[in-house]
Amino acid sequence: MNHPTIPAIAARALHKSFKDTHALRDVSVSIEQGQICALLGKNGAGKTTFIKTALGLVTADRGDVQVLGEPAGSLAARRELGVMLQDVDLPDLLSAREHLTLFSSYYARPADVEAVIQMADLEGFADQRYKTLSGGQKRRVQFSVALIGQPKILFLDEPTTGLDGDARRTVWDNVRRLADGGTTVILTTHYLEEADALADRIVVLSDGRIIADDSASNIRNQVGGTLIRCETALDQSTLTSLPGVKTIETSGRLTTLLTDDGNAALGALLQRDPTLGDLTVRKPSLEEAFSELTQGAQH
Amino acid sequence: MKLSNILLHETGAEMTASLRAPEFIFPTLALPCVFYAIFGVLLSRGGNAATYLLATYGVFAVMGPAIFGFGVGVATEREKGWLSLKRVAPAPAASYIGAKLITTLTFAALALVPVYLIAGFLGDVALPRAQWLTLFGTHLLAALPFSLIGLLLGFRFASGAAVAVSNIVFLGFALLGGLWIPISMFPGVMQTIAQAIPSFHLAEISLSVIDTNTPRNVGLHVGVILAMTAVLALLAAAAWRRQP
Repeated sequence: MNHPTIPAIAARALHKSFKDTHALRDVSVSIEQGQICALLGKNGAGKTTFIKTALGLVTADRGDVQVLGEPAGSLAARRELGVMLQDVDLPDLLSAREHLTLFSSYYARPADVEAVIQMADLEGFADQRYKTLSGGQKRRVQFSVALIGQPKILFLDEPTTGLDGDARRTVWDNVRRLADGGTTVILTTHYLEEADALADRIVVLSDGRIIADDSASNIRNQVGGTLIRCETALDQSTLTSLPGVKTIETSGRLTTLLTDDGNAALGALLQRDPTLGDLTVRKPSLEEAFSELTQGAQH
Repeated sequence: MKLSNILLHETGAEMTASLRAPEFIFPTLALPCVFYAIFGVLLSRGGNAATYLLATYGVFAVMGPAIFGFGVGVATEREKGWLSLKRVAPAPAASYIGAKLITTLTFAALALVPVYLIAGFLGDVALPRAQWLTLFGTHLLAALPFSLIGLLLGFRFASGAAVAVSNIVFLGFALLGGLWIPISMFPGVMQTIAQAIPSFHLAEISLSVIDTNTPRNVGLHVGVILAMTAVLALLAAAAWRRQP
């Protein structure tokens, strides 16, 4: 089952409904070993349901998920996983070191507890009771528990929520290093810069469906176009008539245009508005691409 | 990752956490022996009251660790999502439940010992050695059905409610099962109600160990307890599988 061509995660036609909401609709995805794959989507898009299905915590109504060729939730599948979930707290009265020691007993080839304490930057509070730790320290302990089994696949559900800049970079460094060593990482995040910085591949979910699945740069290009921001005297209808303009947003004195034809629109803009000021021209960020994609999917 | 090794670690963690919770330790260990010292020994009206009440207070002593350890423990761990992480980890359910059970039995034994010491040294309870041992074994086993009840409460209620409900069940079982006051002193209606309560049957089984003169239908009480335990075990297994 360690053959490199077997996908880390293979989901086929997953459907899952809760009462009257469809959490997953026909989700099929295959995640190769060694990839860092980010799941993006708004709250309620189906990210957490997808992860819980892959972990075996949620049973799909239809379709199936395999983890390295084993059924999701089976003992064989769970042996290969390291997991950090949202809204999960460890028992209050044990220390990080005690939690790590307990978890290391579950695995065949656990990492050294001391090494993980160093790696996850827990020195200084590894022997304090979990209850007494700050929110950020608790997240780091939860991250360390995901690493202790030296898993082949790491599931990180919002790993850096509540972390400050330094702690976030420690998590990123660890994720990159593990991926370089062949670990598959599947993460969800609210921070698009995090997905952009880490992920080889981005899967965008909206309303339970996969609406985009590509590299970060391709997803940016998929939305495409150019953003032109400027201070202009032209009115809305004139701006709309410029070449390729798709959206216009005004905030304060600045107007932002998204256009399919950056060069032509810019030329026309400069020609018609001699007073044009504060001009910036750039490609849309992943965040803007994402918002465009998810809005498009909902209409 | 051998099951025995996991169970060892899991039990160690469970014991450590329990020992660090004075709100669990104090009532479960101190209440039974303090109550027994007062009501079974100091205020008892002589005769064989201290012996009779040893049998029933022993059941009372094991109820605390079982109902609170499982009820409040599981409710808290479930609510905090800790149980989800356990189910995702490659640790079998048996090690989680097993560790809790071993911890419960250990605390049950720790709660029983001072009650027995008070009985022997202050209450002048004199029993043949075999009866002491049989009584102790009976009391320890009585923790099993209460553990299952605790487990079910833990699955059914959120942690705050679980504390309240566990207290009600704990005190209700003690009173209505005749652990504090002999059931024969209750009105007929309450004696009927007691038939549905496991603590009543466990008290009767315990009494049959120390008092062989009074006729008791021990077989019936054992049968009822075994049936109750089996049903509770099935319900607990179903609750475990139904977890979201």
